[in-house]
Amino acid sequence: MKFFIDDLPIIFPYDRIYPEQYAYMCDLKRTLDATGHCVLEMPSGTGKTVSLLSLIISYQQFFPVKRKLIYCSRTVPEIEKALSELKRLMEYRISVAETEEQRAKEKAFIGLGLTSRKNLCIHPEVSKEKKGKVVDARCRDLTNSVVANEARAEPGSIEVCDFHENMNDIPNENLLAPGIWTLADILQHGRDTATCPYFTIRRSMPFVDVIIYSFHYLLDPKVAEQVSKEMSKDSIVVFDEAHNIDNVCIESLSIDLTRPMLDAAARSVDKLADKIDEIKKTDASKLQDEYAKLVEGLQEAVSDEDAFTSNPALPEDLLKEAVPGNIRKAEHFVAFLKRLVEYLKTRMRVLHVVAETPLSFLQHLKDITYIERRPLRFCAERLQSLVRTLELNRLDEYSSLQKVANFATLVSTYEKDNATVPNPVFHFVCMDPAIAIKPVFERFSSVVITSGTISPLDMYPKMLQFTPVVQETYAMTLTRNAFLPLVITRGSDQVAISSRFEVRNDPAVVRNFGTILVEYSKIVPDGVVAFFPSYLYMESIVAAWNDMGILNEVWKHKLIFVETPDANETSIALENYRRACDNGRGAVLLSVARGKVSEGIDFDHNYGRAVIMFGVPYQYTESRILKARLEYLRDAYRIRESEFLGFDAIRNAAQCVGRALRGKTDWGLMVFADKRFARADKRAKLPRWINQYITETAANLSTDMALTLSKLFMRTISQNAGENSTGVSLWTVEDVEKAQAAQRQTEAEQNVAAKAKPLQAKSQGDQGDQREGSGIPMDEDDDDDEYYDDGGFSDRVLEGVNLDI
Amino acid sequence: MSTVCTARASYKKSQGLLELTSTHLQWTQDRKELPAVHVAHTEVSSLFSSKEGAAQQWPQFHFHFPPPLALTERETFKAQLTTIISNNRAVRETGVLQPPQTSIQAATPSSNDTTHRAPLPTPSRPSTSRAESVSSNQGTPANDPINDFHLRKKVLVKTPELAVLHRELVRTGHITETEFWEGREHLLLAQAASDSQKKGRPGQLVDPRPQAVEGGEVKIVITPQLVHDIFDEYPVVAKAYDENVPGKLSEAEFWKRYFQSKLFHSHRASIRSTATQHVVKDDTIFDKYLEKPDDELEPRKPRDDDVDMFIDLEATREDHEETGNENDVTMQAGKQRGALPLIRKFNEHSERLLKSAISTDGTGKRRKVDTGDSHGYYSQIDLADLHNLESPAGILLEMQDRQRYFEARAGAAASVEQAPRPAVDFPAALLQMRRDLEGWQVHLAQLKTERKATEAALVSMTQNVATRLDVHKRKADIPEEIFRQMRTCQMAANEFLRQFWSVIYPPIGETVGGPSTLAQRTAKAARMAGYLTKTPEKVMAIVNAAETAGLDRGRVQTGMQPTLDAVNKALEFWETRKAAPGSGAPGARRP
Repeated sequence: MKFFIDDLPIIFPYDRIYPEQYAYMCDLKRTLDATGHCVLEMPSGTGKTVSLLSLIISYQQFFPVKRKLIYCSRTVPEIEKALSELKRLMEYRISVAETEEQRAKEKAFIGLGLTSRKNLCIHPEVSKEKKGKVVDARCRDLTNSVVANEARAEPGSIEVCDFHENMNDIPNENLLAPGIWTLADILQHGRDTATCPYFTIRRSMPFVDVIIYSFHYLLDPKVAEQVSKEMSKDSIVVFDEAHNIDNVCIESLSIDLTRPMLDAAARSVDKLADKIDEIKKTDASKLQDEYAKLVEGLQEAVSDEDAFTSNPALPEDLLKEAVPGNIRKAEHFVAFLKRLVEYLKTRMRVLHVVAETPLSFLQHLKDITYIERRPLRFCAERLQSLVRTLELNRLDEYSSLQKVANFATLVSTYEKDNATVPNPVFHFVCMDPAIAIKPVFERFSSVVITSGTISPLDMYPKMLQFTPVVQETYAMTLTRNAFLPLVITRGSDQVAISSRFEVRNDPAVVRNFGTILVEYSKIVPDGVVAFFPSYLYMESIVAAWNDMGILNEVWKHKLIFVETPDANETSIALENYRRACDNGRGAVLLSVARGKVSEGIDFDHNYGRAVIMFGVPYQYTESRILKARLEYLRDAYRIRESEFLGFDAIRNAAQCVGRALRGKTDWGLMVFADKRFARADKRAKLPRWINQYITETAANLSTDMALTLSKLFMRTISQNAGENSTGVSLWTVEDVEKAQAAQRQTEAEQNVAAKAKPLQAKSQGDQGDQREGSGIPMDEDDDDDEYYDDGGFSDRVLEGVNLDI
Repeated sequence: MSTVCTARASYKKSQGLLELTSTHLQWTQDRKELPAVHVAHTEVSSLFSSKEGAAQQWPQFHFHFPPPLALTERETFKAQLTTIISNNRAVRETGVLQPPQTSIQAATPSSNDTTHRAPLPTPSRPSTSRAESVSSNQGTPANDPINDFHLRKKVLVKTPELAVLHRELVRTGHITETEFWEGREHLLLAQAASDSQKKGRPGQLVDPRPQAVEGGEVKIVITPQLVHDIFDEYPVVAKAYDENVPGKLSEAEFWKRYFQSKLFHSHRASIRSTATQHVVKDDTIFDKYLEKPDDELEPRKPRDDDVDMFIDLEATREDHEETGNENDVTMQAGKQRGALPLIRKFNEHSERLLKSAISTDGTGKRRKVDTGDSHGYYSQIDLADLHNLESPAGILLEMQDRQRYFEARAGAAASVEQAPRPAVDFPAALLQMRRDLEGWQVHLAQLKTERKATEAALVSMTQNVATRLDVHKRKADIPEEIFRQMRTCQMAANEFLRQFWSVIYPPIGETVGGPSTLAQRTAKAARMAGYLTKTPEKVMAIVNAAETAGLDRGRVQTGMQPTLDAVNKALEFWETRKAAPGSGAPGARRP
């Protein structure tokens, strides 16, 4: 369908639209017009991605200034889904384009996704590697410019990647035909043309209109420097599924050092020293050149593709000056690193936990080893330069050393953060998510932060320190309740259930949790998904249930699949789970909130007729990192500990249960099994669209009562939905126009107080109807209702009537 | 294939021709081309000429020879078959040939002197003897559910009301078994369908739990099913069994030692198994098969299945470099090492069950019926309810002079449209209405109602309510015994009516089963009519009984009236038909 928001023509790839999608688009447009930031929460499963893309593409295609769209999502499945949505949208736009010229314009649109080498590699050997780090390293060995030049000078002398070599003769802008390429498409294209998918994407990036990748590619300075620095300022940045964005920000500036890592780093330092000795004998000029460059403070011009890792600190925090003298010489730098690693190893020998600020850490470091702060800040950069000079291979072996260098740079750059040393791990923890995302807000004019569950909305601007121009949450309009949220607070035996640490292993609680699973697996068709607050709890409770014979009851009705530590293994279990749901056998999936499965996997339709949240997914409060962060939040932003913990737990719970829906004809049960969910302050943190459907009775149930309600719900929902949802929870073009007219109306009313106005609004809407109707001659009967709406009088007549009786 | 001798004989109540050729014994039903019974000589093993064969092991073919020809013809067949059978026996004794056992039964109903010849094509279920279409040479004895006694029994057991009716009518001999089931074929078919549905494997894990016996010993009962399940679930046990039984261990010893071994405990789906490990003593044989528990973070056997990109979790993990701090201790997967083998076992077991289900019913991925996109992605991201409803393409109505029809219709519509509508002058009409409504408040205040009429209306309403209450009060006071009689009588009458109308109405060609000839139908209708004429008597008897029990005669009568009406209607119909036999042949016309 096609409609207008103000003057902007929107092409939406469906025949109808949900009212909340329309409202979402309007707010989005307001944000883009104002070139500001926004936070938007839209119910899961109401087509957020398609609305977003639909509006932004319409925006891009309508205005002459090309604003690039940078669309960030959390996981690869979500990236691929967004790409598919985009692809379908563009196919639709091409099919409805009115003029040839327009069609050509739509066809020239390019959209791409980016992910790691590991996911994109098609080299027969390298792609077999299990670890992403190894793939990266081996890929660099085969593709960096030095190797490539040598191979070209002397073909056959050195191993190169053919897929990469095959691309040399193709100009970058011709690598890909215009259009939308999903990751699967790109891989296929790579296989068909024997070119490297990864480099195809990297080289095509300057020409794309839409790029879709994960948060890290924009937030993590190490990666962002390589991939995202060319993005122009007026690009539109979207963070979809952004409810955990603060964690990603924190992660990108935090680092862990463990004992084995330090040992490995020490070995790497030795290796570096050997290598330097060797090179001194064979090719001393190289080191001389490097030294000279460093003296001049020249930033080496390196092609992006060769860069193995950039500075871990944010661009604006980098020192724009020459590397200090004492680490300029390669052997001096190696000695410097050695000292640093030794120092860290000594610090690890402590018996108690130390938490300190970077300042005190640096002071101590200086006292013991005479290492100053300034050279430390250059540590990462200097290492990069040295590695390049030495033309090292298999960089993955140096990853530990890299981490140490990153740690050194970070610790000396950011004074605000905390370094803690709980034995035997060295945590460098970023406490403030605002640091990492600040450059993004500063650089790009429009940043959209959106998710299905991002309540309470004001938390995010507070934590990320920005001022949104639009901040909105949308209710879900439904003609009938498509989902039933239930809070179970006690078992049938009236024992309160809770995942609180003190009671969670109480046999009564475990049994009551088990009963909920058994009973729901009896009454719910197809798929049931259960989430636990942590891996530890899931693993112990699964074992306990099995020994208590509870799972035997479940086996009678459903197959059981469980999330395991291994990602691939879990994917296979997930696929089998889906097949069991499709096949009618039915299955239960046990998994963990905040775990692998809870992020980015949808359980819509038969894949999740019931989602059960066992317990409140609080973070582990004994964790030192969390404690430090809570302290920081309290001091810096006046966010109370309990408030943050509750918010964090509830957003994860909501995220889990929210994935059960897609579309308004889909239905599902959402079971919150913990007595703490009954508390009003907890429920208030749930997204509005879930909370509004929790009735007072449904907020405090025992298992048997919940089952009765669930059965009743399933009986009603299985009836035919009826077609009367159009106009209420589904809008046609006419409904959109009516709503717009009504809105104009209210706006106008604020200025002029006129009596006859309501009629006019009505007539505008109806004229819209007639216009639309006149295009289709034969459907008079269908429109009968519309005609009788106003009693058979035409609007113009009514308008002329003086109704003032 | 030359015919040795022929005779008319009935087989399973159908008339047909029995032939003995040089190689086969065959019987063909009248008006049919192919022989329904076709037995090779070599398969004929025995011949019974009396009822002694009642205890046969296999089903038999039972031929009735019509009386006049019986003796001579039967004797010819007997003689011929005897030679064939004796030949067969001779051959079999030399061990050259092992044909399936068969026997033939023949009988002449006129005398009790019966001849049984019973060939059996293939040993199969006893019920095949009932089956009408024993196309024995096809090798697949078609199991006709409609005539299967067991199915009937099951249906009766399942529906008690039907069982009561069956007892009332069939056992007492009012109608025959076949008649009773006529028109109820769907019940039998449904039962047959549900019987033939194959049950999937039960989901439970194979986990033989020992039962404690007195004296501190434990006992595990081994059934063949359990053995099968164990072998299926743990191929390593099957391997051990193959290699050791009966060579090194006897069967009993094998299981005894298995259930005591570490291997068994590692197989038990219990986290306690790891704890009991040290209690269990070593076993030289089984410990060889012991595998390390699969409790590493990565599974022991990595798998390279191609996963759908939409659920590929590994891709996410490898999407970017590791960043951030490690998870806190509760969020590190696999900390409970003991639970990992269990979890893996769940996943494997589920997968195995799923595979066994999918391979048998062949339903692939339902969702992957996609529309042009190569990966089935669009169907997964589609919001179905946002599409316009697609009404199915209608079937075009073929009609003559379509054009003219529509033109005429359109013209008529147009004329109707034009005639009354445009005359209305809206402002004028509105003005008129306003004028009419002027002073309505005064008018309303003047409104008066007539007293008498109001009261009459109220009285009638009160009466109505009172009557309803009365009825309601008196409703459930018929004694159970009388009520039961009424019900039985009504049910029986209904059944007779059903039988009656079912032979009257559907014309012959359209019936499913049942008596096929006109005469049979007429006879049956007459019989049913006979039963029906007795219904009023029965009703009267009940009414009388009710009266003696002190019940209002009228009420029982009223209750039975609809039944009586229906019966009378049928009887009336029957009378007129009998009166006009020319036009009234059953099935000759349609209602």
